[in-house]
Formats: sequence, C-alpha cells, structure tokens
Amino acid sequence: MIKFENVSKTYKNGTPALTNISLDIEKGEFVFLVGASGSGKTTFLRLLLREELPDQGRILEAGRDIGSLPKWRVPYLRRNIGCVFQDFRLLPNKTVFENVAFALEVIGRPRSTVDNQVPQILDLVGLGTKSDNLPSELSGGEQQRVAVARAFVNRPLILLADEPTGNLDPTNSESIMALLERINRTGTTVVMATHDKALVDRMRRRVIELDRGELIRDQVRGVYGVEEGLAI
Amino acid sequence: MRVYLRYAFKETFSNLWRNRMMTIAAVLTVAVSLSLVGGALLLKQSAAQASASWQRGTQVRVWMSSTATPGEVSSVKTQLAQMPIVKSCYYTTQLQDYNEARSTVPIDEFQALKVADMPTSFRCTPTVPTDALTVISTFLHQPGVLTVTAPVQQIREMSHTIRILQVVFLALAGVLLLSASVLILNTIRMAIFTRRREVSVMKLVGATNWFIRVPYITEGFIQGLLGSGVAMLAVWAFHVWYPLHNEFALDAAKVWGTNIVVLVVGAFIGSVGSAVAIRRFLDV
Repeated sequence: MIKFENVSKTYKNGTPALTNISLDIEKGEFVFLVGASGSGKTTFLRLLLREELPDQGRILEAGRDIGSLPKWRVPYLRRNIGCVFQDFRLLPNKTVFENVAFALEVIGRPRSTVDNQVPQILDLVGLGTKSDNLPSELSGGEQQRVAVARAFVNRPLILLADEPTGNLDPTNSESIMALLERINRTGTTVVMATHDKALVDRMRRRVIELDRGELIRDQVRGVYGVEEGLAI
Repeated sequence: MRVYLRYAFKETFSNLWRNRMMTIAAVLTVAVSLSLVGGALLLKQSAAQASASWQRGTQVRVWMSSTATPGEVSSVKTQLAQMPIVKSCYYTTQLQDYNEARSTVPIDEFQALKVADMPTSFRCTPTVPTDALTVISTFLHQPGVLTVTAPVQQIREMSHTIRILQVVFLALAGVLLLSASVLILNTIRMAIFTRRREVSVMKLVGATNWFIRVPYITEGFIQGLLGSGVAMLAVWAFHVWYPLHNEFALDAAKVWGTNIVVLVVGAFIGSVGSAVAIRRFLDV
C-alpha cells in the first residue's frame, strides 16, 4: 500500500529530515511511527500527504509514484487518505455534522449520501447525539472523535494520525485508539505517529522508529522503547 | 455539479454573514473609493464635452463693409467656396444681422441702429477650428471686407485649460482606482487571512483549489457589487444635487455610462482581488 524507496528529504535550512528511508507498509497494516521530537515523524506523514516532495527516492501509494503526480491531482490523492492531528483541526464555525459532511461535500457526494453516512459515522464514534453542537462545545476527546469521523467518513485506503492522543487524557486516548483499531479492521491502513509509550506497548503492532531522520528500527509487534524491544 | 453549486451558494452567504464586519469594511472601502473614481470620471467627461462643444462652435465671420459692391461680395463668396479649409459658409443679409443685433447689442445702442447701417457677413465653419487663423489672414485686407473675426484665441486658451483639467481628472481617477484596488485587496486579504486555517483543512480533506476558491471569489464579487452599488448612488446623487451647467452639463446617458464603469470595476476588483488574495493560501 505504501512504499518508500531510498527517500531523503532535507529542509531548506540544511537540516536533514529523513535520510535514505526504505520500507513497505502492506494494506490493512497498523503501524506506529515513534521517535523523539524532530526525528522526522511529521515529515514522514507530510510526504505521504504530498505536502512535501522528497529530494531523493520515490514514494509509492497504491502502486503509484506520488512524486510524479501533477499538482492538480493532489486533492484526489488526499481523498484516499484520512488525517487526524493532535490539534483536531476542525472548522470552528461548522457543527459536528457539518464538519464531517464537509469531507463528503468536498468530493461531490450527493446530499442523500451525506445525510445517510454522516449520522452513521457519528454513531460509530459515539457522537450521534451531538451532531448539532459546535466543536467549541465539545471536550477534547469528543473533538478528536469528530476528527476521526471526518477522516474516515469517505472510507479512505490510508489513515494518517499525527499524535492523535497527544492532547488527550488516558481514557480519551483509549477510546480514540479503540476507534482507530476498529477502522483498521475494516481494511484501512493506519499509520500513527505517537509519543504515547503505554499505548504502543499495549497494542503490540508494527513499530517504525526514526532517529534524526534515520530508520533505526522496524519491528513487527514491537514496543515503544528500544530496550524493551530487544527484551522480547 | 448541483451539489457543488448548492455548497458554493450556501458557503458564500454564510461567509458573508459570519464575517459581516469584514464584509462591511470591504463594501465601504469599495463604495468610498469608487465614488471618488466615478466623480472624477464625471468631471473628466464634462470637461471633454465642454471643450468639444466650444470647438464645434468656432466660426469665422467675414464682415463686408456696408459700402461693398456686389462684385466684391460675390468675389469673397467664390473664394470662400473654393477654400478646402472652409467646411461651410452662409451669407447673412443686413436684415438678419439687424435682427441678431436686437438680442446681442444693449437696448439703447440698438435703438440707434438702422438696417441700412448693418454690415452683411459670411459665417463660415472651418474644417479644423485652428484654420480660422488662415481665413482671417486671407480676407482681412481684401477690398470690401470690413473685418474678419473669430474667437480663436479665447477658444485656444480655454481648450488648453480644459485639456489640462481632463488630464488631471483622468489621472485622479487612475490614482484613486489604484489606491482603491490596493485597499480592497488588502481588506479581502485580511478577511481571508483570518480563515487560512479553514483553507488548510479544506486542502487536507482533498478539496480542489477551485472548490475552495469559488465561494471566496463570489464573496468578493458580491462585496464588490454592493460597494459599487453604493458608489453608483453617490455618483448619481452628485449628478442630481450638484448639477453641472451649460456646456458642462452631462446627460443621464453619460452618468449611467460612468455608473456602469463603476459597477464593472467594483465587481472585477472584488472577484479578482479575492482570487489573488487566496492564491497564497492554496499553495500547500
């Protein structure tokens, strides 16, 4: 589903963000991306979204080299990728329903589909009763669930999550993780950058660790830290 | 397509309402700027019209002395008819001149006049107003000619002043238009800057640039229309309450012409301004 071939990215100020990364992520995998701040996790995700282009190497998504996509095709690429961020990124003046509906409107889904699918997905994330609320009227956990609903409503092939639990308490983090797992079970590939050691250790999924832009560990059913990883 | 049109329509009006302070600011900016532009255009047209009407009115009069023989009169007539620089000529009799004098000469002086005293004259319109000078020099010393007159000098000075005025008004309109564009662009840019986050979210969920752009452009277009609507009223009010007189008076068609320019410019600046302002936020 996702393939990095010798990908390097250096920012304009000369800081290397990623150095010679090669890896494969299969369809339906759940991958944790771990590493200290500045290790290149966010760049990794930005490259997948084609917000950045690699300086060297190729990135293939569903067999297609996304670097060779013309600019006008980029929105169509992003329609196959759901995104969840630490800061939720909801539209503050739209209701919960409208925020989720927006992702469908953008891709030109008819009203009937919107009216049908949005309540379904809001029920799935447990916010069926809050569809008319504004984001500011929700708790952080609830807002993040809206963001997950928006990311998943058009059934993307890939779901990227950049520290989705970073602003949440453990209970809310658990419920977000449960949602992501559920989404993953439908066949969606999930790539999640995180600092949450407890979550990674508990889930035992594939762990990719980056350190100063280099891939230093790629472990099936891994844990957060290197020491524990070696102990298995 | 229908889904999108509905979305764009809804989005445009909810944005206008949600950012109503910014909307008002943009509308007022357009209104004030374009009122000034419209006013300057009106004055420019008025000056141009006056100048043209004066020039059209340039006539050379070849006055024949009352003692001129019929031969001398017909000689002048033939020469005038053969001059290519003279467009048309007609002869006024003593009686016609006498009647005209009735309205142009003070009443007590007029009472002393007799028809037989009146000189006859040829009234000629030169093809080009400045050719009046050639007509003067040709006929001034011919036998039977009393004098040759033309308001050439005055017209030349007046036209010169008017031409300067025209240039000034046009430059004023240009400068005002430029500053209006910058002000409007800035207002729209500020409005969009507050919503750059919204734009980035739209990009994230896969909205195409046109999908994002169109509601902003229609929003700018509507702001431009509203603003220029107000400016049109101002231009019209200027025309009605402070009418220009005589040769300067403009007819309604010219005022409407100016108003159409104001409307088109307003709508253009509004929509293009939005398109330009949003461009930098789309490049993600």
